[in-house]
Amino acid sequence: MRLLLAEDDPMIGASVQRGLRQEGHGVDWIRDGREIEPALAATPYDLLLLDLGLPGRGGLEALTGLRAAGHSLPVLILTARDAVTDRIQGLDRGADDYLIKPFDLDELAARIRALLRRQAGRADPVIRNGPLSFDPATRQVTLEDQPVALSAREQALLAALLEQPGRPLSRAQLEERIYGWGEEVESNAVEVHIHSLRRKLGADTIKNLRGVGYFIPRVE
Amino acid sequence: MASLRRNLLISLLVSLSIAATLGGYATYRVALTEIDEVMDYNLRQFALSLRSEFLGQPAPPIGAPDESLDFVIQIWDRQGLRLYLSHPHSSLPSQAQLGYATVTTPDARWRTFSVAAPGRVIQVAQPLGVRSTLAAQAALRTLLPFVAMLPVMGGLIWYLVGRGLRPLARLTRAVKNRQADALEPLSAAGVPEEAQPLVEALNGLLARLATALATQRAFVADAAHELRTPLAALQLQAQLAERAASPAELAESLAELRRGLTRATHVVAQLLTLARQGPDAQGRKRREPVDLSELAGLAIAEMLPLAEAKGIDLGAGKLDAAPLDGDREGLRSLLANLLDNAIRYTPAGGQVNVSVCQEGPRVLLEVADSGPGIPPADRERVFDRFYRRDGQEESGSGLGLAIVRGVAQAHAATVELAESELGGLAARVWLPRSQS
Repeated sequence: MRLLLAEDDPMIGASVQRGLRQEGHGVDWIRDGREIEPALAATPYDLLLLDLGLPGRGGLEALTGLRAAGHSLPVLILTARDAVTDRIQGLDRGADDYLIKPFDLDELAARIRALLRRQAGRADPVIRNGPLSFDPATRQVTLEDQPVALSAREQALLAALLEQPGRPLSRAQLEERIYGWGEEVESNAVEVHIHSLRRKLGADTIKNLRGVGYFIPRVE
Repeated sequence: MASLRRNLLISLLVSLSIAATLGGYATYRVALTEIDEVMDYNLRQFALSLRSEFLGQPAPPIGAPDESLDFVIQIWDRQGLRLYLSHPHSSLPSQAQLGYATVTTPDARWRTFSVAAPGRVIQVAQPLGVRSTLAAQAALRTLLPFVAMLPVMGGLIWYLVGRGLRPLARLTRAVKNRQADALEPLSAAGVPEEAQPLVEALNGLLARLATALATQRAFVADAAHELRTPLAALQLQAQLAERAASPAELAESLAELRRGLTRATHVVAQLLTLARQGPDAQGRKRREPVDLSELAGLAIAEMLPLAEAKGIDLGAGKLDAAPLDGDREGLRSLLANLLDNAIRYTPAGGQVNVSVCQEGPRVLLEVADSGPGIPPADRERVFDRFYRRDGQEESGSGLGLAIVRGVAQAHAATVELAESELGGLAARVWLPRSQS
């Protein structure tokens, strides 16, 4: 999933970015509250991680602004402000969850998964489509109940395609979902990963719609 | 312990007694004058009546007078021979001048009136003691009611003073029953005018305490909040280290963790330094003669490795001898923070200059850099605790300049941020020179 991280502390920002990339997310990191809305307008992010003490434009103000502008993506607030009133205010301004610093990286990842699951309208933590299933928590992919070993990028690509079976995603969209800014993307990276997935999961698992993109057929 | 009530009682009663005594004495004097007049008149009338009685009579065959008669009568013939003396034992002189006279004899003082009759001289004398006794009795009669009233007055004073002091007792209870953190002002309602300044002074103290307490609480809250950020970074860095899949990744994560620890340690050290500079700590600071130039030299030497690592030319301009009475540790952290800021915000290849010089009665310390500087609008706010300027990539504790200002205030020094000749920021501190 493609996440936007708004955090001004360089150490926390770097660690969160690195930790969430290990979880298979594409993470873009900005340090100024004023950059949030342009970033959201330019890229279809799946989730925003928001620090409240941002320079430029405070986190709460930015949150109010982006909700007013019609952005409906899940927002998780990361902050050192632990007063109950702060939490209530954060949630009432349009945040979906609130995590107080210092926090656990695994808990952050779990909350992100929960938010993404709810956003996709699923209750089942495991994404299933026919014989294929993907557990975002363990990042375990199974085919006919047999585990399949995938690389982090392959997992991210499969997760993106499984999110909405039957809906094709273009190569650019897929790249955006699995790579953050500044990450090196080889020109045929998506094709390479698709090829590898097909080899591991069966050639028919992922279909190509020429000129449109790739999709996984919905299996009821 | 001195009791207002007892003191008032005693002093009021003593004053009243003195006033009564003076009044009694005045009464005595007035009564004596009046009695003198009346008695002199009586003396004269008595003598005159005796004269008419003896007119034309050959001898005075007067029997012994009543013993209770105060007046002593003497009669002489023309030759000065005493014909009659009413009280033979009295020691009045045997000659007299006509009219009024006051005579002193070994046993008493006398008032006499002598009158000449044909062939005789008649003298009537009265001891003055009678008059003063009468006057004293008159004075005592006026004093008596007051003396009788004295215990009543005492009781009344005791009660009234007690009642007058009751608002103070209420005030005492109000202060005594307070919780340690109840710092709202005392009510001045019902407090007498004389006690108002006390209430106002107490309220002033309470207000200052409330401010100090609020500052302390804000500091603790800020400190706790500010510690969360480095701790959050540490936790994340530690978790990333745990997750490391390869030795190279682990080494990188541990290096990150170490940087995080250095930062957290720095924040804690800065918080401690700032707490030590707090207003409550000032009284305990020891002042000693220090040379600011020497301290500046030491600080430069200490910071040199950091500056060299960043490729910054750190050096001293003019370092005049600058003797001060100061807190060595405080001045050391002032210098360290100014230098740290200058090095931190000056880009690689830049320059940082330190100078100390005498300027009239003060010593001017300047740390100038070639960095980006601070716009004038922000130059006041950067002294606030935990304030970080927008878009600041460097992760300081946000406490450096607050510490600088705290140390400066403790030394009655002023701090100013301005543009430096190097194009960046110049931090200038004016310190008062040593008195000696």
